[in-house]
Amino acid sequence: MKSPPPTAGTFVSLAIVVIALAGLGYLMPGLSRTVIESFIYATLVVGLGVFVGNTGIVSFGHASFAMIGAYGAAWFTCCEGMRQVFLPGLPDIIAAINLPLPVAALVGMGIAAVVAMFAGAVLLRLNGVAASIGLLSFLFMVKTIYENWDGWTSGQSSLVGLPMEVGIAQAAAGLIFVLCLALIYQGSASGLLVRAAREDEVASRSAGVRVWRERLICFTLSAAITALGGVMFAHYLGSISVVQFWLDLTFLTLAMLVVGGRNTITGAVVGALVITSLRDGLRTLENGVPTPFGIAEIPEGVQEIALALLLLVVLVARPRGITGGREFNFFR
Amino acid sequence: MNLLSVKGLSVRYGPIIAVRHLDLDVDVGEIVCLVGPNGAGKSSSTLAIAGALLPSAGTIHLDGKDIARQPAERLAMAGVSLVPEGRRIFGRMTVQDNLIAACLPGRRPFDDPEIFSLFPILRERMGQFAGLLSGGEQQQLAIARAMLRKPRLMIVDEPSLGLSPRFVDIVFGALRQLRNQGVSLLVVEQSARRALGLADRIYLMRSGEVVMTGRSGSLAQDPEFEAAYFGKEAAR
Repeated sequence: MKSPPPTAGTFVSLAIVVIALAGLGYLMPGLSRTVIESFIYATLVVGLGVFVGNTGIVSFGHASFAMIGAYGAAWFTCCEGMRQVFLPGLPDIIAAINLPLPVAALVGMGIAAVVAMFAGAVLLRLNGVAASIGLLSFLFMVKTIYENWDGWTSGQSSLVGLPMEVGIAQAAAGLIFVLCLALIYQGSASGLLVRAAREDEVASRSAGVRVWRERLICFTLSAAITALGGVMFAHYLGSISVVQFWLDLTFLTLAMLVVGGRNTITGAVVGALVITSLRDGLRTLENGVPTPFGIAEIPEGVQEIALALLLLVVLVARPRGITGGREFNFFR
Repeated sequence: MNLLSVKGLSVRYGPIIAVRHLDLDVDVGEIVCLVGPNGAGKSSSTLAIAGALLPSAGTIHLDGKDIARQPAERLAMAGVSLVPEGRRIFGRMTVQDNLIAACLPGRRPFDDPEIFSLFPILRERMGQFAGLLSGGEQQQLAIARAMLRKPRLMIVDEPSLGLSPRFVDIVFGALRQLRNQGVSLLVVEQSARRALGLADRIYLMRSGEVVMTGRSGSLAQDPEFEAAYFGKEAAR
C-alpha cells in the first residue's frame, strides 16, 4: 500500500484517536466531562499552536480570539427572546436572528479572523519577544474593551442562557474540523514559507519570502481556530464572562502547548489531553473520593502545583515536549 | 556594463559607523571580492546592498534603478540573491523543503538538474533535516537555494568560513561556474590569498572604508596589498 502524504496520515491518525476517546466518553459517562473539556482545550491549543509552532513567536494574545469568537457566536444564539434584555446594545437586526450553533460558530470565527487581520497587520511587523509583548498588550486592550462594552457583552457580569449544545459529538466534530484546517495549512505553501522565516528571517527574505504577509495569513487562521474553541467553551458551559478568557486561560493553553510539543499539531492535542486529564483527576481528589478505608482527599491547590511541576519536568527533560517534535502517524 | 553601482554607502549601528562612503561596482559576469579583516564592514555592506539592513546614506543602483530602500524580499524578486554569513539554512526543515521555500515565491521549479550536477550530495540528503548536514554541505545548500532564484547578482558572505579546503574548492568552483554563465557575484572573503584566487576584481576594506582596489592580477603583484590588509604603513 502506498502511504498517504504525511499531513493526511497525521490527520487520519489523530481523527481516529479523537473518535476513540469520544467512544470512551460515551461508554463511561463518568469520563464524559473530561473528554469534552479536553476536546475543547485541544481546539484552543491547536489554534495557538498553528501560530506559535509555525512562526516561532509565542503568543500571549490568543485568549482574546477565544473571547471574540465566543461573544460573536453568542450574539446569534443566546437567551431565546431575552437577548436584548441582557444585551441592550445589540441592534434589532442581530437580535432578531437566531442561528443554529454551527453557523453561529462560523460567524464567531469570521469576526475573530477579521480582528486578527487588522491587529496582525500592525503587531506582526514586530519580531520575537517584542511581538509576544505586543500580543499581550492586545490581550489587555481587548479585555478592557469587552468589559466596558456593556450593551454588547453585559460588561463585567456573566452572560447566561446560551444553549448548552456542545456534547461529546459536537466537541469531537469541532476538534476534527480544526485538525483538518491546521494540517492543510501545515502542508501548504504559506505554511512552508512561514516556517522558513521562523528558521531564519534574513535568509528567507533573501529568498523572496514576504514574511509579514505569510505571518498574517498564519495569524488569521490560528485566530479563527482559537475562536471556535471559545465558541465551544461558551456553548458547553452555557455562560460566558470576560474573565474566563484572561490570564488563567492564556497560561493554561500555553502550558498545554509546551508540554505537548510546540512545533507540531500532535503536540498541541497531546498537551491538551494530558493536562486536562491530570487537572480533572486531581480536582476529583481535591473534592474527596470515598474508599472502603475512608475518604481519600488531597489539599486544594494541588492541581496548580502539579501543573507547574509537570511543566518544569518537561522543560528540563523534554524541551521539545512529550511528542518530541514529531507528528503522530499510523501510516508511516 | 555596471550591473550594480554603489555610491557613498554608509551604514551605522546607532552611534557606531560600520561603513563609510563605500563606492563599489559590479559588472555583468564578474566576481568581485570584498576583502578585509574582521570588523572592516564587509558584511554590513553586503547586508545593506541586499536590502536586509537600512543604509544611513548613499545610493545603490541595480541596472540603473535605485534600490537603496527596497526590502530584501523585493530585491530577491528583482534578481538579487543573498547567501548570508554563517550558512543560514532552515535547520529544522528538510533539504527538499529548504529548496522548495526558495522556489515558491515566483513559482520556480525546484529540482533544477544544474543544482544537482554542481552539488550531487544534496540529492542524497533530500529527506534529511538541513541542520544535520555538515558545514560544507550546508554551505552548498545555501548556495543552491540562492541559485534556484536564478539571480543576476548573487551576494555571498564568507562562503569559505569554517570549511575544509576540499569544500572550499567545491563551493568556489560553483561560484566560478555561475560567473561563466553570466551571473555577477559579490563575494565577501576574509582570506586575501583565497580572494586573489577567486575574484576578477578586489576591494580591500579596513575600518569601514575601501583602502585599495584593483584587478586581482595586479594586486597579486603589489607588495602594498598585503601591507594594506594588515594595516601597516605601506613598506617601501
